[in-house]
Amino acid sequence: MLRFFRRPVGSAQRAQGSTVFWILSVTASGLLLMGWLLPWFVEPTASGIGTSPQDVLLNPAGFADFLIYVIAATMLILVLSPLVEIAARIRKRQLPQIADRARLIAAVAGLALTVAVWLLVRYILGPRDSTLGPIDSHTVTDSAVWLTMYGYGVAALVYGARTWVLSRPNVAFGLVVLPFGALLPLMFHQAPDFLLWAAASLAVYTLLGLGLNIVVGFAGLLDLGYAAFFAIGAYACASFASPNHHIHLPLWVLIFIGAAVASVFGGILGAPTLRLRGDYLAIVTLGFGEIIPDLATNNVLGLTGGPSGISGIDQPSIGPINFGTNPQWFYWSLLILSIIVVLLLRNTEHSRLGRAWVAIREDEVAAAATGINTTSTKLLAFAMGASVSGLAGAFYGSIVTIVTPEDFSFSVSVAVLSIIVLGGIGNITGVILGSFVLTLVIFWILPHMNEWSMTVSAPDHPISFLPGLGTVNFTQYTYMVYGVALILMMLLRPGGLLPSRARRVELEKGIESESLAAVQGRA
Amino acid sequence: MALLDLVNVSKRFGGLQAVSNVSFAIEDRAIVSMIGPNGAGKTTAFNCVTGLFPLSSGQILLDGISISGLPPHRITRLGIARTFQNIRLFSYMTAVDNVMVGAHWWMKAHVWDGALRTPLSRHEERSVERRALALLEGLGLSGYAGSYARELPYGLQRRLEIARALATRPRLLLLDEPAAGLNTQEKIELMALIGRLRDEGLTIFLIEHDMRVVMEVSDRIVVLDHGEKIAEGKPIEVRENPRVIEAYLGTGASQEMPTA
Repeated sequence: MLRFFRRPVGSAQRAQGSTVFWILSVTASGLLLMGWLLPWFVEPTASGIGTSPQDVLLNPAGFADFLIYVIAATMLILVLSPLVEIAARIRKRQLPQIADRARLIAAVAGLALTVAVWLLVRYILGPRDSTLGPIDSHTVTDSAVWLTMYGYGVAALVYGARTWVLSRPNVAFGLVVLPFGALLPLMFHQAPDFLLWAAASLAVYTLLGLGLNIVVGFAGLLDLGYAAFFAIGAYACASFASPNHHIHLPLWVLIFIGAAVASVFGGILGAPTLRLRGDYLAIVTLGFGEIIPDLATNNVLGLTGGPSGISGIDQPSIGPINFGTNPQWFYWSLLILSIIVVLLLRNTEHSRLGRAWVAIREDEVAAAATGINTTSTKLLAFAMGASVSGLAGAFYGSIVTIVTPEDFSFSVSVAVLSIIVLGGIGNITGVILGSFVLTLVIFWILPHMNEWSMTVSAPDHPISFLPGLGTVNFTQYTYMVYGVALILMMLLRPGGLLPSRARRVELEKGIESESLAAVQGRA
Repeated sequence: MALLDLVNVSKRFGGLQAVSNVSFAIEDRAIVSMIGPNGAGKTTAFNCVTGLFPLSSGQILLDGISISGLPPHRITRLGIARTFQNIRLFSYMTAVDNVMVGAHWWMKAHVWDGALRTPLSRHEERSVERRALALLEGLGLSGYAGSYARELPYGLQRRLEIARALATRPRLLLLDEPAAGLNTQEKIELMALIGRLRDEGLTIFLIEHDMRVVMEVSDRIVVLDHGEKIAEGKPIEVRENPRVIEAYLGTGASQEMPTA
């Protein structure tokens, strides 16, 4: 009798598993597509593997050209396969078993051939060998080859080990994301700008998202002024590692100072405001987020350097390696830091404290009546969230070497909140995914769209279509991206790309839940 | 000595005197019921005892020590656990997690133990989970440990709330209309459960509308009407008290007793 009520074991897990499968297969196609198109956009005259298809098309000459056609065919299969799968799902049909095998073969063959051609061009035959045709080894090409190879690798994983990906979604996701993160500087070693971007935006925003996720996702407290703690961390770093106060501490000390100072401020903000809930708490934190940059602009106590901020922040170094000249070290140290933070947060989420946070999010009155000290538990969420943000701030300061009040405007809070809403509030994996997607679009693709549109719309470019494209300033559309992303998410997947298992949208239940203070008539 | 003492407890919301000058005592290991018409102030009295509402005047003593003015979590830690009239489970947590929240306050792992997954934290989590599962099994919820609280059938949600309250290691258990919405079979099981908990050393104080449950299970009954205590005594005494009959059925009905 009773077993009919029982939830099928692991059904929630499986639902998320299929999402991860989708995300990974789309990622694989995306990487392949990027690998093919990157040189075309960045440098239309470059030639090499996966580049300048027009060269190969115009004078198919060598043996390598033939291989490139085969690679292109495998690529086409893999890029089209998510579309085919969507079509199959719409028609409510299962893809035949053979489709999986064909995609796996395409992925493995494509990977092998790409490696082979790359080795031939790069090391064995040398460029411009008559047997190869008009292909060349080139820095842009190298990045493209990395992307292509990675795309094939991911495709091979998702199509070859489908059942495993479905049963262990988080492990599979980590297996794809972690190596990509670790290898990013190697893929783009010729593009220091890109690495600095990756360190400053991607990694810092991932940390910020993880920190805000404690407050909003775990404890269910809506914080709209999160950038304030980021600012506090960055200014703490700037004060202790710049000519401003003639103090020069190493970054490894500073990140702890940044975290500690920010968490103290988290406590200061939290103590009087935490009896508020939902909309009211959001408004107070919004105000706090406006006050901190304002204080910095007004050079409060002579500490912050006014509107021009603090400049000349020290570049950290480990022994002989100076991070200023080797930006990939910023990236790697942030990556390691993020991994540590993720591990600590995962543990905390499944510990006594994490359970208490969820209990407060679900029903604060019941939590208090069950013996949880709601005030101190919420305060702890605020302080821990702030300290992660302080860490990120300290790193940010030493990456950009100058901090000004404008760096911490409301738009930063919006960006971080969008990251966690997009990725999935309350789910650490989702937050990481969200920060990937959003920072890639906002801080990399949009600024580069300007360059690309110029290149593509130049009259001598082989694909010179839409000449008006060159005049559009894409960075103006940042806020539109946030808006469209949030609206689409709320309509299509209110839980985010990877919703947390026991997700409850705080924004949606704000009215029905009451705070303990309100029940007691103290708020 | 009495376990819980209410001394001239009053609670006023603006112009409404919800509870006025109520005094009574609950002996250790007793089962005491509080009854009264709707709006008599029963749940308000509960909320005063558990610290959800500050008292307007009066005192509440636990074991002779005043607990009035303490925050709810402190009162729970001193040994008063409760359930709610409209079930307040953590609906998107699993049943076993709900129970483990009850164990939160006496668990020893610190923040850093949890973050670093120290042996202390892991052992404690495992042992508390084991105890929570045993508790669920004892209350007939063994098949539902992994289900979300909101997915449980209504009667089992009531039981899960009791399980969560028991996990806080109470001495006094406050049940706010535990039989509401239960069918006959479930009510019989509930009465058996209440008896069993008392035999294990718990004191139980409940609000209930179902007279069969009240009469069968209670050692003593307190009757509230319009915020005032109108009667107190053994079930048989309360049943025949004319003021009680009047409060329930109106004047002139004192010769007929609600037997439901």
